[in-house]
Amino acid sequence: MSLKNKLNRLKPHISLEEKKPLPSNEVIEKIKIPFSEQWEKEKVFPYYFDHQYCLVREIKYPITYKHGHYFFSDFLDAVHIWNEGPQNHPLSASGHKAEELFFFDTETTGLGGGVGNTIFLLGYASIVHNELVLRQHLLPHPGAEVPLYQSFLERVNYKTLVTYNGKSFDWPQVKTRHTLIREHVPKLPSFGHFDLYHASRRLWKHRLDRLKLSVVEKEILGVERVDDIPGFLAPMIYFDFIENNDPEGIIGVLKHNEVDILSLVTLYTHLTFQLCGRDPSQTRKESFEVGRWYASIGEDAEAGQIFSSLIDGRDQTSNSAKFSLALQLKKENAIKKALVLFEKVANEKNELSFLACIEAAKILEHKYKNFEGAIKYCNIAMDLMDTIDSKKQNELIKRVIRLKQKHCKFPG
Amino acid sequence: MIGKKSLQEIIEEMKLSSYYKKNIVTWQTIEEKPACTVPLPEDLHPILKDALGKKGIDKLYTHQKSAYEAALFKRSIVAVTPTASGKTLCYNLPVLQEILTNSTSRALYIFPTKALAQDQKSEINEMIEASGMNINSYTYDGDTSTNIRQKVRKAGHIVITNPDMLHSAILPHHTKWVSLFENLKFIVIDELHMYRGVFGSHVANVIRRLKRICRYYGSNPLFICTSATIANTLEHAQCLTEEEMCLIDNNGAPSGRKHFLFYNPPIVNKPLNIRRSATLEVRKLAGELLKNKIQTIVFARSRVRVEIILTYLQDLIKNQLGSKSIMGYRGGYLPTERRKIEKGLRSGEIYGVVSTNALELGVDIGQLQVCIMTGYPGTISSAWQQAGRRHGESLVIMVASSSPLDQYIIQNPEYFFKRSPETARINPYNLIILIDHMKCAAYELPFKQGEKFGGVDTKELLEYLAEERILYQNADKWYWMNDSFPAHNISLRSASQENIVIIDITRTGHVKVIGEMDSFSAMTLLHDEAIYLHQGTQFQVEKLDWEEKKAFVKEVDADYFTDANVAVHLKVLEVDKTINLVDTEVGYGDVSVRAMATIFKKIKFETHENIGSGPIHLPEEELHTNASWISLNKDFSKMGKGQLEQGLIGAAHALNHIAPLFVMADPQDIHVIPQIKADHNEKPTIFFYDRYPGGIGLSEKIYSGIVEVFHETKKMVEGCHCDNGCPSCVGAECVSETAKKDVLTIIQSFLNSSFQPSEV
Repeated sequence: MSLKNKLNRLKPHISLEEKKPLPSNEVIEKIKIPFSEQWEKEKVFPYYFDHQYCLVREIKYPITYKHGHYFFSDFLDAVHIWNEGPQNHPLSASGHKAEELFFFDTETTGLGGGVGNTIFLLGYASIVHNELVLRQHLLPHPGAEVPLYQSFLERVNYKTLVTYNGKSFDWPQVKTRHTLIREHVPKLPSFGHFDLYHASRRLWKHRLDRLKLSVVEKEILGVERVDDIPGFLAPMIYFDFIENNDPEGIIGVLKHNEVDILSLVTLYTHLTFQLCGRDPSQTRKESFEVGRWYASIGEDAEAGQIFSSLIDGRDQTSNSAKFSLALQLKKENAIKKALVLFEKVANEKNELSFLACIEAAKILEHKYKNFEGAIKYCNIAMDLMDTIDSKKQNELIKRVIRLKQKHCKFPG
Repeated sequence: MIGKKSLQEIIEEMKLSSYYKKNIVTWQTIEEKPACTVPLPEDLHPILKDALGKKGIDKLYTHQKSAYEAALFKRSIVAVTPTASGKTLCYNLPVLQEILTNSTSRALYIFPTKALAQDQKSEINEMIEASGMNINSYTYDGDTSTNIRQKVRKAGHIVITNPDMLHSAILPHHTKWVSLFENLKFIVIDELHMYRGVFGSHVANVIRRLKRICRYYGSNPLFICTSATIANTLEHAQCLTEEEMCLIDNNGAPSGRKHFLFYNPPIVNKPLNIRRSATLEVRKLAGELLKNKIQTIVFARSRVRVEIILTYLQDLIKNQLGSKSIMGYRGGYLPTERRKIEKGLRSGEIYGVVSTNALELGVDIGQLQVCIMTGYPGTISSAWQQAGRRHGESLVIMVASSSPLDQYIIQNPEYFFKRSPETARINPYNLIILIDHMKCAAYELPFKQGEKFGGVDTKELLEYLAEERILYQNADKWYWMNDSFPAHNISLRSASQENIVIIDITRTGHVKVIGEMDSFSAMTLLHDEAIYLHQGTQFQVEKLDWEEKKAFVKEVDADYFTDANVAVHLKVLEVDKTINLVDTEVGYGDVSVRAMATIFKKIKFETHENIGSGPIHLPEEELHTNASWISLNKDFSKMGKGQLEQGLIGAAHALNHIAPLFVMADPQDIHVIPQIKADHNEKPTIFFYDRYPGGIGLSEKIYSGIVEVFHETKKMVEGCHCDNGCPSCVGAECVSETAKKDVLTIIQSFLNSSFQPSEV
């Protein structure tokens, strides 16, 4: 029995990936490019290398173009702000010219890492001569990775990548595929990397259920997509494209990728305005998250300033700001100021009161030897415990016992 | 020690005591064998010499030296190494020597389980640390924390892993392992005998992929394999790795005088042929030894058994020795716990260990004087593994349970002592397995036209995958063109593609997956209300969701098990081989097996009474596989149709016990069914088929040894102490008074005709 017959008999036992329409047996002419007229209409031109080719699309946007809530010229302002301002931040473009930022996104044939997940589209944009130039390199069939990476690597000239989740996905995947053809193409250059996914998480986790770029675009950046192809269909469309070579479907994927990249520019601009306090419509909650971010990277001055601006008011953000500011003051040994803030948070019933009580009790006990005051805050804390947490409870009881002993020994 | 008897005294006593004497059915003494050693190799690196010195090693056993020399001459080897014979030096010496000479060199160690890998890491790291070698060895498995993974990939001289991890994490990400693959000098495969059956067939294909990736990065590593004693070590190693191998079997490790006893508990119920429980008998034997402070290891087949025996023994000796002096040991223990047990045994704080078969691998038990097996461990090789190898005089007692297999072994000692151990079978050419790994391989690197995958011509397979829209052909290459990650859908240790996941819902909030089973077996073992045994614990199936492939089970304590009736329809699709004898016809070929579960019965433990039944509503399953068969040309009309049918069923039942023994397979992997009138030749026929789509070579092996299988089966049935056939020999379905006789008549008629050509 032939192997194929056996295979067909065993078919029910073999897990097969989903079927797609039958292939055409057409052999691609290496030099003649199918559908070249349609490609040209979409500003896509071939790039030849070593008897092979890939396809490159180039689009230029004037700087006065508005994508979402921002003009691309606002991005130039953003770079300027970082360069002029005092802030230190992982996303700071200080020391960069606007031209040196490189907004980058890929499309792949599958999900997740792994050697077999092929990148079929490398897209990027950067400022060139006061225009935003967007370029996309498309793999016309799986055997053309050498021209794809060759064309990509000889055109790129950048200092820092800007991506959305590119640190853990896009760039490692570029490295993986590049390793397979490393003997035929230039080396990958080294560079800085701004991953805006992590920034978005920090700022908008409280508002958005999911932090996909398309959600951030819609909810935060004011970007409206028209006739967009959802990203998850991209692999299917690509598989179809390599069978029939018709640009129609894949052009949709190119356009989807194009909007992703444009949104990265807008997102970077928006994040800069948020981080540097340039957004008049920034919510108090957003400001607070920005403050927390500065605090977590040790930029205490910047963080303190932001927290101080938020302590007036009676909302939760005000309490959070007071509490965070108090922690910072405690660290700086401004005990008196810290205590005032902790006491305020402790006395105003809110989700941080419990922690604030403990903090206040600690300061009263250790710095002021005011055991009575400390016991008072422990008692408030005890009342605030609505859920039974035996660990917390035990700690608290231990503290009270200790305080009472001390109080007996050194009354007043 | 006053009042304590020595092992010698106990051995003498056993020979004389009337109680023991009548139960000991075989007493085999194996004489001692002195060590064969040679000086350390001259060219051994001084640091390595020093490291060995610190471990007190100043010479090598002959097999260690041979392994070292073979590696020096760039030959791949497989070393046959019984328990505690210093097998790790067979690979650690050449590997460390190579890395000390050339620090860019890399080695990959593959162990069948995570626990064994951990053990090896500790052992090799002790050696590395003791002598200050600048060598990094790491384990790479599911437990490796993400922050050191990068370091393992880039800087690990020795990477210790398991085949599953290689399959799903290392090979599909080979670009992250460039420095390993470019410099790979050695691939070490330990416990080679574990890679058999379906699992072994998968692993052989993983090795094909591994070798393919090595070639891509320009390395050509040597293989160093070690294996327990099996009949076909060299053949198995070559089949698994597709490498020319050199067999090293000049084991130079010493072993002491060994008494190997077969112990059959007395019959307590003559008419029903019920023997005293092996567990109770083991308690008596082990208790006697432990009271005399003789270090003893007891093996039991399930976790529950281990717990029961452990409790018994701890209770028995708690006043004399303290209950801490006996430890239980099950699979899944951490290396530190194992070390603690080993240390306790060495220092004499621990006298006894009760263990599942897990201890067979991974704990050095060389100093234990006595080993007691509760029941036959299933294969000759694992029995010898458990029996171990001690330096002084030692005693091994195998206590039989009343299972037919145990009874067969104990009544046929020559089978155990004279026969070479089992043959390990794999079939790397099983199409289902092969095509799965072709997919993974294509994901890892495109296939070139004309490229071979191991010994396989790929053209037709690649065309098939392209037609199925999984690969895409461009010019002379075949590219992976699918959005899935193929390795995630392929499990090396499961039998078939669409497995049923078994979910334990005993405790709400702690629902967990405890295993999986192929859907063909699930029909009979996981239907609604079935009692499912998982590592000795009883579960009842609450619901089998056939569409979703999930079985929900709850722990129960029932005094019965369930037995499902399956209507099996087997059809021969193509006859590949036949032998026509005078009275019989023996064949081998492709078959289709259609099975439908009909009803199940609840059967009481011990008495085997039928205490209830219920219907099973599941769709018919179809399996395409290989089978061998034997048909009778003789006219059986005088026997009567009913009697013939009963006889065939009984014979098939008996054959089903012996067949797995013969091919060294899990009883699950091979099935036997009778047909009173087979579709293809209209003759009374007994079929043996592989319980895995496409076959894994088991029935083919039966085909070539069918006479022996029938012969041994006949002996088993004859040797059974029942009068008219019992559940142990011919099964519960044969109830007539002539059942046993009919079965023997039928087996004999197969045998008569089969022997004829050689007699003529």
